[in-house]
Amino acid sequence: MSRQMLAIRHLEKTDIEFLVANAASLKADVLAGKPIDAKRAHTVGLLFFENSTRTRVSFEQACNYLGYRFVNFSGSGSSLSKGESLKDTILTLKHERLEAVVMRHKSSGAAQLAAGYFDGPIINAGDGQHEHPTQALGDALTIQERLGKLSGLKIAIVGDVLHSRVARSNSWLLSKLGNEVRFVGPRSLIPSFTSKLPGDVYYNLREGLLGADVVMCLRLQRERMDDGRLSSISEFSRLYQVNRSTIKSAAPHAIVMHPGPLNRGVELDDATADGPQSAISDQVQNGIFVRMAVLKWIFEPTAAASEVKA
Amino acid sequence: MRTLFRNGRILDPSQELDIVGSVMLEDGQIIDLGADIDEEDADEVYDCTGLWIAPGLVDMHAHLREPGQERRETIRTGTQAAAAGGFTTVCCMPNTSPALDNPAIIDFILDKAASPDSGGVFVQPIGALTKGQKGEQIADLAALKQAGVAAVSDEGCPIQESNLMMRAMEFALQLDLPIMVHCEDRSLSQGGAMNEGMVSAMLGVPGIPRSAEEIMIMRNCVLALNTGCRIHIMRVTTWGGVEMIRQFKYLGAPVTCEVTPHHLTLTDESIGEFNPNFKTTPPLRTSVDLDILQQALSDGTIDVIASDHSPYAPFEVHVPFEEAPNGMSTLEATVGVVLTHLTHKGVLTPLQTIEKLSTAPAQILGLAAGTLQPDRTPVAQITVIDPNVEWKFDAHRTFSKGKNSPFDGWNLLGKAVLTYCGTEVYRDPFFSDERYEA
Repeated sequence: MSRQMLAIRHLEKTDIEFLVANAASLKADVLAGKPIDAKRAHTVGLLFFENSTRTRVSFEQACNYLGYRFVNFSGSGSSLSKGESLKDTILTLKHERLEAVVMRHKSSGAAQLAAGYFDGPIINAGDGQHEHPTQALGDALTIQERLGKLSGLKIAIVGDVLHSRVARSNSWLLSKLGNEVRFVGPRSLIPSFTSKLPGDVYYNLREGLLGADVVMCLRLQRERMDDGRLSSISEFSRLYQVNRSTIKSAAPHAIVMHPGPLNRGVELDDATADGPQSAISDQVQNGIFVRMAVLKWIFEPTAAASEVKA
Repeated sequence: MRTLFRNGRILDPSQELDIVGSVMLEDGQIIDLGADIDEEDADEVYDCTGLWIAPGLVDMHAHLREPGQERRETIRTGTQAAAAGGFTTVCCMPNTSPALDNPAIIDFILDKAASPDSGGVFVQPIGALTKGQKGEQIADLAALKQAGVAAVSDEGCPIQESNLMMRAMEFALQLDLPIMVHCEDRSLSQGGAMNEGMVSAMLGVPGIPRSAEEIMIMRNCVLALNTGCRIHIMRVTTWGGVEMIRQFKYLGAPVTCEVTPHHLTLTDESIGEFNPNFKTTPPLRTSVDLDILQQALSDGTIDVIASDHSPYAPFEVHVPFEEAPNGMSTLEATVGVVLTHLTHKGVLTPLQTIEKLSTAPAQILGLAAGTLQPDRTPVAQITVIDPNVEWKFDAHRTFSKGKNSPFDGWNLLGKAVLTYCGTEVYRDPFFSDERYEA
């Protein structure tokens, strides 16, 4: 049974710590221009049923640094848009001699389903509203770098929690490492029942941000207005925008994060997005290093958590 | 030709009978039953010692998929599954392709059901309430009734507009046809794939709020109360819905309702890691709902257990959860699941069990079934149940084409072991050869 990266929910704390630590050391090597000792040039399929330039490019860069090969399969023009079922696509890829598949799909649980039909590892690059594990790992590395620790922190996740895979993955990851997670947003964008999610709910932004070490904003999809969950974008901003005024509720050293793409002036104002507290560009860069760490973790399962810690 | 079902526990809710005795048939018709009947001259004998002898079970809600969806089920495979599951009558829902909205299709169904290679049980069609089940124009209900439908329904595409529903009830009342209603406010359920709750929040699967079901239960009950039309609420799943039905029954509304074996035993947590075999409509709810459903079944608020047998071809189910179709293949597991999880746990008495699975559905639909009284049915319909046989349900070894069962691999206690519908239509290996003499 090969390793899978389907959901942070399924990961052990030691695996998370291993991956973040390993990403940090890979980052140091890359920035120092040291060669990365990949044992073999593995071949990875990048299967994006939904377009996502940044996540795909980040995985491509991770492969480049590791000396792996990658093959792109994307939505339009490929078999993915010709009515082939997910099952058949995955079965086909198995015989294309790919060793692992990175997959983005619009349905929650799609990565889990794919894992049932593919002998090798599946790396979930976002499945519906469920999880986006490599995003959360990258965010963890960013927090570690900026705040020097990854436990005992207060984390406010702000915005459209209901539809956000980033919120789910981050809440699992950060709570497993011993942080206090808060979900902050309007009632229409917070799940009605949260007892199986690891966080407390705040409907008031300032209360939710009070003393927070990390303020993690979520992208607001404009289609939320179509289904009546928002009266207007400006109404959302009025109540939930993290800006130079509302950020004052958070701890003075707080960092501000956003998974992108950012709706400037909606989730964040310019001052906060571009200011010294912003960690947004770190998040993008760190995405590459955690994806390298995940690929290595998958292909070199003998590497035990203790090795890196020591 | 005399056939004797000897020395079983006779359970007949139609005469409130729960005694040990025998049932004698002559030429496929019941002529006598009781504790000491004349057992002489039997040409064949089924020894039912330690077993239950019940009126043939009636499933008032199943999908046989023919015409048009033969990849999922046919009348042949569906009736074979019914016979193996202990049912002598199976009601087939109208959401076929085309829908069961005209007499010619009803004739087609009845002909197929009567053909010798079918399962030998009665197929009772349920007609479409609106043409093409589009919820726009009422179907020709009088013609459907003449052709033999016992009720009408728009199944999973219920009429949303209240005015049209009220008119439909007026038509149906005039013809004394019950309407079987699936209760779902589409504006609330749209886009959802499972119960809105803590599990949907965790899995990131769009939720369906319980209000979607309860609002329509309320509306339909109000309309039934005010028009006088009989309605049968299919597969109630929420505790709130149960309480509304209880209140409307108290007010005198002509309302009956059913629950499925899966809503009685499974919750949204059973979905696990996105298992599409656990997707259904209304969705699996919570343990609170499950408790109230069981209680309401026991106290009589819920009248019927129906399988809502919904077979699919494997390729239709092997897709991401949100894209998977609603429904489960349940005909062959229903009796075992009900006995194991309700009867043996004391939720239902044996007599109540048979009432919910046979007598009550027959009475609601006005069928000549659900009883062992001589001359009350066209032919003898008898289901022999071994309440204590231990077996494992294997969804891949069923007569049904649908292998999409949430009960696959379940260890069950109790099974229908002999199904008789004018003639023997199913004998299970658990009904040993020594029990039969000819």
